[in-house]
Amino acid sequence: MATKTIRAEYLKGLWDENPVLRQILGLCPTLAVTGTVITGLAMGLATTFVLIFSSLVVSSIKKLIPAQVRIATYIVVIASFVTIADQFLKAFFYPISEALGPYVPLIVVNCIILGRQEAFSSRNSVGRSLIDALGMSTGFILTLLALSSIREILGAGTFLGYQVMGPWFKPWIIMILPAGGFITLGILLGIALTIESRTKRS
Amino acid sequence: MSLSSRMIIVLTTVGLISGGFLAGVAKLTKERIALNIQAEIEEAIKEVVDDAEISTVLYEEEGLVIYRELEEDGDLAGFAIQAIGVGFQDKITLMFGLDETLTKITGLTIIDQKETPGLGAKITDWNAFLRFWEDRDATGPLSLRKPSVHTPEELLATEINSITAATISSRKVLEIVNLSLDKVRELIAKGKITDEEHDGN
Repeated sequence: MATKTIRAEYLKGLWDENPVLRQILGLCPTLAVTGTVITGLAMGLATTFVLIFSSLVVSSIKKLIPAQVRIATYIVVIASFVTIADQFLKAFFYPISEALGPYVPLIVVNCIILGRQEAFSSRNSVGRSLIDALGMSTGFILTLLALSSIREILGAGTFLGYQVMGPWFKPWIIMILPAGGFITLGILLGIALTIESRTKRS
Repeated sequence: MSLSSRMIIVLTTVGLISGGFLAGVAKLTKERIALNIQAEIEEAIKEVVDDAEISTVLYEEEGLVIYRELEEDGDLAGFAIQAIGVGFQDKITLMFGLDETLTKITGLTIIDQKETPGLGAKITDWNAFLRFWEDRDATGPLSLRKPSVHTPEELLATEINSITAATISSRKVLEIVNLSLDKVRELIAKGKITDEEHDGN
């Protein structure tokens, strides 16, 4: 495997291998909790915590795990960090935890996390796995922020709860409903693919 | 070492470490989480029963808790009823208050709901829905006023305002309250809830 520079390792998660826009992974939370910016951001940060610590643990113990039980081991590790994130939110950010509902425990089955353990952390050093996890998390957070900003501004006329649209604006309620999630994600994916094909051509 | 022993050892060790770690985290956060839930309930009670300071659970069953509320000086402030029922999308948890004589609803607040954002979720909105719950008659079943009206004065004491474009969510809230009131009246008839017990007169 050709070794990338640390910078390239980090940056790949932001665009070239962006988990949502390029790998089409982790779409359940992406669609479900991006109705408001605050829930989108909280989900992004909780996923970041789980991804970083799971990658650190998996890359540190990778040589000890027999291949046959690797997925089971990864899931135990991931589930532990998800439970910690869930308990932490319930204890210190109760309203956000209530708003996210079952989607925090569901981080366990977020394919971005398991995918990075299988594709990266189980084959790379602890340092590189950390950089990879940071890059993927940043890409995930930025995508959730883009999606939730569009949905909250158009769907409620607010950003982070603050009114940003004038009284003339009639909120497009569909944007904060599930359909709005699909529409916005579809448009963002379309834009990402268009940019990608143009840069390839040039 | 054989492969199967290695698999067993690795999985058991990872499971034990993670279990121990989680037990520690649960211990650290348990108290705080319980306090958060408690605070949420206390806040809801204060919203629906004026001057409520001291709560006592009078009755508890699946999906229904009845609290007696005393003022700071020990006078009866009223009763708070916490109820859970099925909404349009998911369960709705709400709290409503009854006056000292158990004949009038003093107010209602929604603790938890997952109704449609922008439509059914208006059941949490004071202007659109909650203000129409003050001073309702609690001696019989309440009914839904449709089409909706603009001020509480236009409603009968036994009526609740519906939310335009969210009739189902408003009706679901009404059903939860009506069911809880049936139970409250049944408990009053059995003598399990009284408005006089606190000072024995």
